[in-house]
Formats: sequence, C-alpha cells, structure tokens
Amino acid sequence: MARTISVEVVYRGIFQKTLAKNICRGIVLAARKEGKIGISFGRYGDSPERNGIPAKNFAIVAPNEEELQLSMAQYEPETTDVTISVDDMLCKGVESWAWYGLQPINQKVRDQGTLIVTSMLPAEALINFCHTKPTPYRLAVIPAIPSFSGLWVYKDDHTDVRILGALPKVCPELVSLDSIQKAIKEEWNDDLKVTSARRTYEHTATRTVRPGEGNPEVPFKFDLPGWTKMREGVTIDGIRLGEPIKFGDQIGGYRPARNPYFKKYTTRTMRPVIDFDKCIKCTLCWLQCPDSCFDVTPDQTYDLNAEACCGCGVCEAVCPVDNCVTMVNEAEFADNKSQWEAYKQDKQAYQAWVDEKLTHRPERSHGFRYRGQYQEQVAKQGVGPGGAE
Amino acid sequence: MDPDSATAVRVAAAEQEALISGSEAVAVATRLADVDVLTAYPIRPYDTLMQYVAKQIANGEQDAEYIVAESEHSQFEIAKHAEAVGARAMCGSSGVGWCYAFEAIAVTPALRLPLVAMVGNRALDDPGAFGTEHNDALAARDLGWMHVWVDTAQEALDTTLMAYRVAEDRRVFLPCAISTDGAFLTHSQTLVKIPPQTWVDEFLPPYNRGDLRLHPDNPITIAPQVNEDWLMEIRRQTDEAMRNARGVIEEAYRDFRRIFGRGEGNPFFEEYRTEDAEVVLVGMGTLSMPVKVVIRKLREQGEKVGFVRVRWFRPFDHERLGALLSRFRAIGVIDRDFSMGSPFNSGVLANEIRATLYAQDRRPPVVSFIAGLGGREVTIPAVKEMIEQTRRAAAAGKAPADTQWIGVRA
Amino acid sequence: MDAKLQVPTLDSPLPVLEPIKGVKKAPLEEYFTSGHRTCQGCESALVMKLMVKAAGPRTVVLGSTGCMYVANTTYYSTSWVVPWMHTQLGSSGSAAVGTAAGYRALMRKGKIKREPINVISFCGDGGGADMGLSAISGALQHMDYNHLILLYDNESYANTDIQASGSTPYGANTTFSPHGKAKRILHKRWKKNMAAMLAAGHPECRYVGTVCASYAVDFMNRIRKALSIGGPTFIHSLDPCPKGWDYDPMLSHELGELAVLAGIWPLFEVEQHQLRLYGKTRAIVEGRQKRLPVRDYLMKQGRFAHFTNDDIDYFQAKIDEMWTRWLIPGVLPFSTDVLNERPPA
Repeated sequence: MARTISVEVVYRGIFQKTLAKNICRGIVLAARKEGKIGISFGRYGDSPERNGIPAKNFAIVAPNEEELQLSMAQYEPETTDVTISVDDMLCKGVESWAWYGLQPINQKVRDQGTLIVTSMLPAEALINFCHTKPTPYRLAVIPAIPSFSGLWVYKDDHTDVRILGALPKVCPELVSLDSIQKAIKEEWNDDLKVTSARRTYEHTATRTVRPGEGNPEVPFKFDLPGWTKMREGVTIDGIRLGEPIKFGDQIGGYRPARNPYFKKYTTRTMRPVIDFDKCIKCTLCWLQCPDSCFDVTPDQTYDLNAEACCGCGVCEAVCPVDNCVTMVNEAEFADNKSQWEAYKQDKQAYQAWVDEKLTHRPERSHGFRYRGQYQEQVAKQGVGPGGAE
Repeated sequence: MDPDSATAVRVAAAEQEALISGSEAVAVATRLADVDVLTAYPIRPYDTLMQYVAKQIANGEQDAEYIVAESEHSQFEIAKHAEAVGARAMCGSSGVGWCYAFEAIAVTPALRLPLVAMVGNRALDDPGAFGTEHNDALAARDLGWMHVWVDTAQEALDTTLMAYRVAEDRRVFLPCAISTDGAFLTHSQTLVKIPPQTWVDEFLPPYNRGDLRLHPDNPITIAPQVNEDWLMEIRRQTDEAMRNARGVIEEAYRDFRRIFGRGEGNPFFEEYRTEDAEVVLVGMGTLSMPVKVVIRKLREQGEKVGFVRVRWFRPFDHERLGALLSRFRAIGVIDRDFSMGSPFNSGVLANEIRATLYAQDRRPPVVSFIAGLGGREVTIPAVKEMIEQTRRAAAAGKAPADTQWIGVRA
Repeated sequence: MDAKLQVPTLDSPLPVLEPIKGVKKAPLEEYFTSGHRTCQGCESALVMKLMVKAAGPRTVVLGSTGCMYVANTTYYSTSWVVPWMHTQLGSSGSAAVGTAAGYRALMRKGKIKREPINVISFCGDGGGADMGLSAISGALQHMDYNHLILLYDNESYANTDIQASGSTPYGANTTFSPHGKAKRILHKRWKKNMAAMLAAGHPECRYVGTVCASYAVDFMNRIRKALSIGGPTFIHSLDPCPKGWDYDPMLSHELGELAVLAGIWPLFEVEQHQLRLYGKTRAIVEGRQKRLPVRDYLMKQGRFAHFTNDDIDYFQAKIDEMWTRWLIPGVLPFSTDVLNERPPA
C-alpha cells in the first residue's frame, strides 16, 4: 500500500461509542500486522457525546509515519475511502451537537469509495435516504439490527467484528482478512468472533450508487460570519416568543419559536405517532417533553413538531392511554409533516396511516433496562441474523 | 495670560483638599463616580480600599450595594455580573488573592465588561509577604485587561475616574486594573485634591451597556459555548477593543484636563527631566519617588539624566515610547517584578522595552535591573548605582548581557 | 417559632406568582425551547423548561458551566427565550448576587424601572455541591437580594463525560470511579445532603426545597414559591441522566418517580423555617404509599450493573437508616449509631 487510507465510523453518541471505538481500534491493530501504522480517534467536536446525537470516530492507516503525519493534527479527514454507518437512520444525514449544517452520510466518501451500512433494509431503501453525490460510490449493506447499548454495559452482538470482516472485502488496500482475523483473535481471544468476521467477509457484496441516485434535497448549510459581523461580548439574540396556531378558520393553542440553527432530524431513530381520537388531553406528552417538540393545537391536543423531536420516547412512556402516543421506526417516514394537519384534512385516511405505522415499532434497544438484557437479546436474535454467519 | 493658569485659578477655588491614602483616594473616586456595586474580601493591602468604602456606606456618604463576599473569586464574579446588567462596579485584590480570583479575571475581557479593579500590588505567597511586587497584576497582563500603574494618591483618584470613562466607552468595553504599590501608596496618607461632583458628572457619562445589557427587555444569550469555528474571531474582537483603547485614553485625558484644569498631557508615560538627557531610567509605580530625587541631585551636578515612568502598561504605547527611548544613549529598566527564565533573565518591563525598541532604527543599550522585590525599599544609593551602570553602558555602547539584581545580599 | 421575627426588610419588589392548579393550568408559553443539544430523554433539559415556564417572561437566568451550559447554548444558537448568561462553574451563587445587586442598585437610584425581575441561577451537582458550595452559602446569607439558586443534580460531572462528584451515589460507575477487576467499587462516598445542609446552615434563608421534574406541577409551584417569597432561595432537583446512569432515555420520567418512591430522594421544603414533606414522600411517611425496595431503582441503571447483592443490601440499609434512625427522617442525618454501618468489604 502506497497511500494513506481513511475510514470513518458515523454512530449514535454514547449508544454506539464502544462499538465505534472497537471498529477503529481493530482496523489500526490489524493494519499493524502488515507493518502499516495508523491512528484511531474520535471527532473532538463531538465530545462530550450526547445520547443518540450523531458522532464520528476515525481510523487512518498509512504506509509510514511521514505519511501519517498529514492526518495527525486534523479533526477529521477531507475524504474517506470507507464510511461506516452503524445506524441506518444516519443515512438521512449527520449533524453533530457541536457544529452546524447537515452533513450527508456519504459526504466524505471519495469517488469509487465505499459506504457500509448495518441495516435490515434493502440497499434501495437506504439509497433513498442518502443524499445524491456527483461522483459514484459503492454501498455495502451488512444485515443487522443496529446495535445500541450504553456507557457502562456493552451489547456484544459481534457487530464490531462483522464490520471488521467486511472491510478487506470492500477495501483490500486497507488490510487483509488474515490480518483482521489475527487482530480479532488477539484483542478478544474469541474464535466465534473470528468466524463472524470471516463469514461477513464472504457474504459482503457492494452495489454501485450512480451520481444523481438518492435523495436530491440540498442539505441545510450554515456560513460562519467574521469577527466584524459578530456582536461583541459573545452575545447573540435569544429566541422570540411563540404564537398561536392558525389552521383554516381555527386559531388557538401555541407553537413555540425554535432554535433555527439546530434541528433534530438526524438525532432520532424513532418518532411518536399520535392517535388524536384517543387523546384525553392530559398534557403529559407536551409537558414532560425535554425538547418542547409538541405544539399545542387549537383543539388542545398535542401535535409532534418533527424538527425538534430527538426520539427519546418519554412522550410514549408518560401517555396514560394505550396506543395514543406510539414510537415508530424513523425508517417509516419520508417527511416531517404535521400529523395533526393530516388528521384534520382526512380523519379516516389518517386513522389508516396510524394503523399502518403502528405495525413498525422499533426493534432497537435504546440502552440498558435490566441486568442480563443484552445477553438475552443476543441469545434470542443471535449475533447478527443467522447467528455467527 | 494663558488659559491653563486661568483654569488653575478655578481649580484652586473649587477643589477640596483631604489627607488620605492611595486606597482611600480610590474609595473617594468610587463615590464620585456613583459606583453601584462594590465587593469586598480582606487581604492586605487591598482591604484598605473597601474599609474606607465601608465607612462611606455606613455614614451614608455613598449609595451603593456594598457586598462582603466569601472569597476573592466571588468578589470578582459578583462585580462581573453586576456589570452585565448595566451597573457600575468596583472590586480588586492583592497578591495571591488576585490569583484566587484569576478564573473570573480571565473571563471578563471577552465578555466585554468594563469592570474596574484596584490591585494593591503585593508579593505572591509563599512565603507570606505583604510588601509590594508587581507580579500579581502582571500575571493578567495578556488577557485583555487594561493595566495602569499610578504613583501618587492624587493620580489614583484621577485615574479611577479616567478608568471608568475609558472602560465604559462602547469602542472599548474592557476591564481595567489600577495598580497601586502596597504600603507606599495604599497605606500612606498624602494631601489629595477632591474635585466637585459637578466636574465628575461632566467628565463621566452614565454607564450605558446598550444592546448588550442583560435585562428582560433585551432578551439575549451571553457567552454560549464555542468550538474552534469561533474563538479566533472572538479573540480578534477583544484585540480590536484594546487597539481602540489607545485613542479613547487620549480623548479621556484631554477632556479631564479641560474640565479639571490639571492632569497629564501624555497619558501613557511620564517624562521627568528627559529633555536633553543622555541616559534614563524606566520604571513603574512608586519607585519613581527615590528615582526623581536622585535625578534632581545629579541634574544639579550637571549630569544629563532623566526618568520615564510607564503609566499605561496595557495598552502599551510602543510607538511614542519607542520613538522617545531611541533618542537616549542608554536606558536602564527597573522591574519591581520577575519573569524567571525569560530572555536575559529580566523582569517583565525590561523585555517589553527591548521589544519596543526593536522597531526603532536607533537601539540604545538596555540595562535590565530587578529591584525592590517584596516591598524592599529602592534606596538612593540603589538608584545611583543603576544610573551609574546605565551610564557605563552608554559609554561602552553596549549593556551587560544579563540582568542586574540591585540591593540583594549575596 | 414566630416566622415574623425572621422576616428581613425586603425592599426589592417581589413578583406575584400564583400556584399552578393542575397540569391543565400550566402556562402554554415556553421560555426555554427546542433546539438545545442535550441527550435523548435529558431530564435536566426538562428541568430548565419547567423552571422558566413557572417563572415567566420577566426572568433572567444565569447558568454555570455544565451540560445545561454546553449542550443548550452552542455559540450562535441558543434555546433560551428569556435573557441568559453563562457564569463560571463555581459561580452560581456569586452570579445570582451580582445580578440581583445590580438590579437593586439601579432601581433604587432610578436608573432603571422599579419592577420585580426573577433572577434564577442554576448549577449542576459539580458546580453546586462541590466547587460552588462556598459561593452558594455566601449568597444565601445576603437577604437583600431576591434570587433562586437551582441545583440540577444528575449525580456526576455529566458534561465532561460522567466523572464522580460529591453528589454521585455510593458505588456508581463513573469515568473517575470505574468498576474494575481488583476493585468492584471505587466511589465509596455517600451523596451529599445539600438541601438540608443549606437549610440548616442558613437560618435566615426563607425557602429551601427538593424537587423532581417527574412531578411537573409540584416542581413548578416550588419554583414560584421560591421566587415570590423574597430573599435568596435554593432548590435541589434530582435529574435522571440517561447517559451517565445508563438507561433507556424513555425511562427518565419513571426513574425520577422510582427515586422518590424508593425513599432515596425525599421531597421536602423548608418554607419560612417550617419543614414540610410533600408529594409521594409525604404519602410514604404517612403510610399511604409503600416505600419501594432500592433494588427496583438501582437495577434499572447500567451504572449499578456491577452491584452484588451485598452492595444492594448495604444501599438499602443506608436508605432504611434515613427513614428509621435520622433525627428528622429523610432530612437530618443525626443519630447515635449511624457510624456503625460500614460498606461490605
């Protein structure tokens, strides 16, 4: 290998912190087996990580130290040979808590580079989420339910080693399968993990994504003003007060003004669906929402404002009525339109929409619930579909 | 009859004389400036300021929130936040007390809060020492605070009024530290002219924070956390404010002379008998007293010696000071501070002077002295020795490479 | 005691904030709104929202360093509708005093309109229970200044990535007290009893209370009481932290309730020198509600996943002690034999 190769892991803050670290460490340690030298680091601006907020970890492998120095004082590489999305919902875009504007998941993938996604969705479905690119790239889907755990207890479902196994297939320049297997054996001393890596290597295939394929929408960009334009005293305007909602001849309720620079479209893996006919107007979803993402409608019901929802699920947890507020897999939504307006326009059609959505409750576990939970889940679903592949 | 002597008459009529210390002079200035919030925490010699303020408050001579804090850090934070809502505030400290407040001191300039603080210059413990040394104030020299050194109680009073006028100018909006030498200035009482309130009111407009004021009528967010995308721009803004301060200081002193009929022509440094001087000493604070005495004596003997007292250390007037100093045959810089391991093992001022001279075509030799640490007196023989060494450098056309410690026992 | 004797001269105007009668009467307006960058299910963000919802538009908020600074206000954007200013980690007390003193002076001198302005200064447990304790204590002595200091307690230095604080519960996993092979438990300090400490230590202070945002109306009414009673006041809020405690963010609300129901987080207030237990805590003490075993609370959190049964028993014993041996159960930890209890080896 004569050139530096950059790999990026885009993941859910905290939920997948250990997973991302394992992958990047594995790459660098495997490359070492071939005499190459590398570094593994998280994007500094993503730290401290926030649960669920997109974050990045990088592995950079170079033929020698001099080459590596190019990458050693950067927050992130300009382009990547491989970008790994360990949650398929990140295909909708990436916005860290610490910076502005939406980065398409494939933004850094170089011409003919590869995007690896762990997902149970078909490639075509994922491509529809990914923003279009002027240059072609390749997509590899590793069939897996995106692996989530927390800060202290790791869900060891082999996602890390399966992704490591896929790498020599999509980017032989980076490292060989043999070195990957050696590194896994050394790091985890677990033959089943070595097998998982090899099986994934064997099964992984890529599909080329042509220029213009995917989501055509132009992502939100933010231009930084200079010092002569910025207000003194590190001072900015606060958010203005909200207003009542106007709908047809109805005026009432309340819609808070919201931070125009940071929306949470990319922060969630699920979102609430509201069955307005079931609502008893108890206010709890609205009152207990940490993100103030509910608008109070003129009917005194509560409408999700999807720009603000980070998908925590507290609203479902506090709702006293069954199936009134229900968290649904984010993959099932193509837009962020108002549910209440759809309900007002056509109640029957809305009811049908709700009933269909409620068949897509998320399979993800968003972190620790009880001791032994992860072991049970892994035992139930195996390590990746079909166990160790 | 020239206008100056005309105003001089008016002054004599209107100003009252009081026998007060430098700290007390600053306290009187806070009353004249109608300061809204003052915070106190004891440490010698700074506490003499707030003791006097406490008396003025107790006797109903001063209307302000007077708050005895539970630490220097809180003292500065309370004053800082009072400034943010548009209240005029004053606090200060000495020695390690100033260091204890350092976090608050460090954050104030970027917030563009025109807090005025008095530093009763004191040696840094350990070992515990009450005497004067400038390292406490100088520890904050690079942070965006304006720094001014005074050498008389009168100058302390006048400069306090000046400090608010400059700091609260929207073009500046930076905090200002007034350094007064412990003991010599903070604890000895001299006759001070106290101007009438009407003059002060004419000179010092109310503090108007404008659109940066923290108040329910002005919903703003102040000091959100920033990442690498922003901080350089914010630093550059503070840098611009400090550059602006040079011109604003000139305006303030000009106005002060117009209204008070006294005060300095050149705000930034005082020249004493430099007109035809061949060698000069340079220093800050009360060491000016023995130096001036010696200069006068030597002048009587026909020696062409002078003294330059740096008053405004930040912003530093490198252009005028550089132009002036390059005229002389040799310069002796006296530091009442240290900067261990710095170039030539000098104090802070000496290396600032060297840097200033570097831009000049003519660069006289600079002899660097460290004297009067921990409040040790700078004696007449000590001053004579420094002048003698500087004169030798002039004759030789070069200065000793290393810094000279004056009055230290071997 | 005769409360009137204790009332200081309060010359700064006080707001009139009526109690909110039920969730349906909660104000619609948000003064802390969407677009902050906290974790999914962040209870402290909810605390910020309810705090200013209760306080209303004539409020100024000072925020000391921590999650509720860094995650809520990332430069060039903010989630605050009311004026907000950062203060240093240990400065919540000083910031409250400085701000209130500034307004007081300006109003008295006629430099600004004389009107009630709510001054709220918040801090996390690191800023409040550790570094800022001295400044908060100082602030609670200056009776001339009306303000509220709110401590949002997520039981670690959460913003810097979950390091142990003086408010971290016994045995919890933090990045400064990881569970390891040789040492099962590194953090052996028992959580500071902040609210009672401050109430007992500042006899002039007219309001000190504990709250939990899982009970939103109780929470908001305590904020209103603290802001309208006059002088410096203090409220301590227990905020479940999905990141540091390691649980599904969906359970934030439930964990708050469990902390109260297990007797780990007593809800009480000291109002004009009268102690009152309230909400579920009162129900437990009056026998209307069964105190739940701490296991139900601890075992839902990854930070306690390394606990053995001995650890859980020790934790339970310490909590039982709060309710059976303390001089004032749940509030004042004085009794003759507290010290006989020792952690398991």
